[in-house]
Amino acid sequence: MNTLKDALSFGDLPRSERIGFFLFIVFCLVFPWIIKNAFTQAVMIQFLIFCLYGLGWNLIGGYGGQVALGQAKNVGMSAYTVALLMVWWDVPFWVSTPLGIIVATVESFILGYFLFRLKGHYFAIATICVSLVWQQLFINWDLIGGARGVELPLKETPNFVYMQFSSPVYYHYFAFILVMGAIFYMNWFRKSRLGFQLRAISSGEDVAESLGINIHWVKVKAYCITGIFAGAGGAFYAVYYNYIDPFSVMHLELSILIALMTMIGGAGSMWGPIIGAMILIPLDRYLGAWLGGLGVTGVDFIIYALMVMIISAYEPRGIWGIIEKARAKR
Amino acid sequence: MELLIPAIISGLLMGMLFALVALGLAIIFGVMDIVNFAHGEFLMVGMYTTFLTSTYLSIEPLLTIPVAATLGLILGVASYYLLVRHLLKGPMIAQLLGTFGLMIFLRYLAMAIFGPDYKILQQGLLIGKSAKWGAVIISYPKLGTAVISVIAFGAVYWLINRTRLGMALKATSLNAEAASYMGINTERMRALAWGLGGATVGIAGALLTNFYYANPTVGMLFALIAFATVAMGGFGSIKGAFIAGLIMGLLIDVGGTFIGPQHKFALIYLTYFLVVIFRPQGLFGW
Repeated sequence: MNTLKDALSFGDLPRSERIGFFLFIVFCLVFPWIIKNAFTQAVMIQFLIFCLYGLGWNLIGGYGGQVALGQAKNVGMSAYTVALLMVWWDVPFWVSTPLGIIVATVESFILGYFLFRLKGHYFAIATICVSLVWQQLFINWDLIGGARGVELPLKETPNFVYMQFSSPVYYHYFAFILVMGAIFYMNWFRKSRLGFQLRAISSGEDVAESLGINIHWVKVKAYCITGIFAGAGGAFYAVYYNYIDPFSVMHLELSILIALMTMIGGAGSMWGPIIGAMILIPLDRYLGAWLGGLGVTGVDFIIYALMVMIISAYEPRGIWGIIEKARAKR
Repeated sequence: MELLIPAIISGLLMGMLFALVALGLAIIFGVMDIVNFAHGEFLMVGMYTTFLTSTYLSIEPLLTIPVAATLGLILGVASYYLLVRHLLKGPMIAQLLGTFGLMIFLRYLAMAIFGPDYKILQQGLLIGKSAKWGAVIISYPKLGTAVISVIAFGAVYWLINRTRLGMALKATSLNAEAASYMGINTERMRALAWGLGGATVGIAGALLTNFYYANPTVGMLFALIAFATVAMGGFGSIKGAFIAGLIMGLLIDVGGTFIGPQHKFALIYLTYFLVVIFRPQGLFGW
């Protein structure tokens, strides 16, 4: 009961944040009724998916201070589970999604158990290595489609069981529900024992250990929860696009994008990942659409890289840190 | 045997280049405990420098090495003063993602300017030539690369161990605070470490262009090899970087011959894991 109260109550936040959160909810709810442009709606759904990834990464990367660059493999594993189960045995979305999330979480647990023996840059490099191994494996593994990817078969009629709808509005609301769930979870998390333990670890491992925190176990737990978030996002991704390939869901670039996005918004803060996604995803899609037409690639990444360099050099707490500083001055 | 001997020779030759790539990373880490994620991208800049100058100005590729080294030096020092100096004040995550941002920046800048095509040098003193003794074929570009890598490595080793400047650099890496009491400008020493790192990896890039394609994303692979090399040799150990470089070269070429070339990079990752889990201080670390 207390858990639920903690998750649903935002009473400890300043009023401005509560108003902002309320406006965010209203905006997301009315969005599909105001904006009818298909491209803008697609960007909005992407934004929601990336919110989910970012909120998840914020746990281990922001609160925990561990640079884990491997979200994409969890996204990919869950997406592949959902897609392949449907292609092979016609398993409904609602059955395959829990399985996909379990696959992603178990992978996170096993990997986290070994990788968290490492610290700092050793750990960061190791997560890159693991991501590249998985990426290579998925590209070359013919059984699961290899580089061609997997296409989900379409049903004749819109189908709730397989999450196939005629209008993107349904996807929008489903993604919105996932993001709200994630926000409520994070709201509970930041007040929970695990949340305080993780923050203690990020500000000083030796001190945290001397306080009796089992550092290794807490990190592994947080890493698994990150895996759950990524898994949920991946499962949704598979049914939303009806097509996945290793380059869209398993690629290291996706992991990098998630980390940079959260860092720009404000790692280790409640709203940071959402702010980051709000800036980067529209920038990415519109800039990509515009520059892709001109035949230039990669300018979007140049802009993120510049932003992330400036932010890590001058304000490591990101845009949220700037907002908090401005508020403290008043 | 017919397969083993050429693989060993090629592995040792490549290993000398890997050692040179890892050298800069080891120096930077030794002096200030920071991993330069953009190291592979510095290599990529060196490769493009050689490719462009020798293609468009029709200069012998080997003569462009000083150009690549100078550009690497400038790049290293500039990234220190503009970025890394500020990162050092922040938490660990900012240091990691900051140089990571530099890596993404350089990579996609190259992508936007040069496009994703593979560029390969067509003309040069060594390019495409090889010597043959029985079954053993030695490619001249690899041989030349190995020789120049060892010379460059030796020069840096001499600089660090036999000159006043090198002593100051070493003092800074052992204890920066004590070094600053002795009148060493530690700020400048750190910039020097970045400059040396950039210059050596620029030379490595210039050499690599003689037999490897240049591409905006080529850096990642060599950076990972360098990370594994440096981890194996012990972060900050220069002697360790050389020996670990040779071991990595042998592992990749000999291993690649026997388990299939498409898996040879998995060997790098595996080596990295085994080393960091079982001997995190490396072979020569302290």
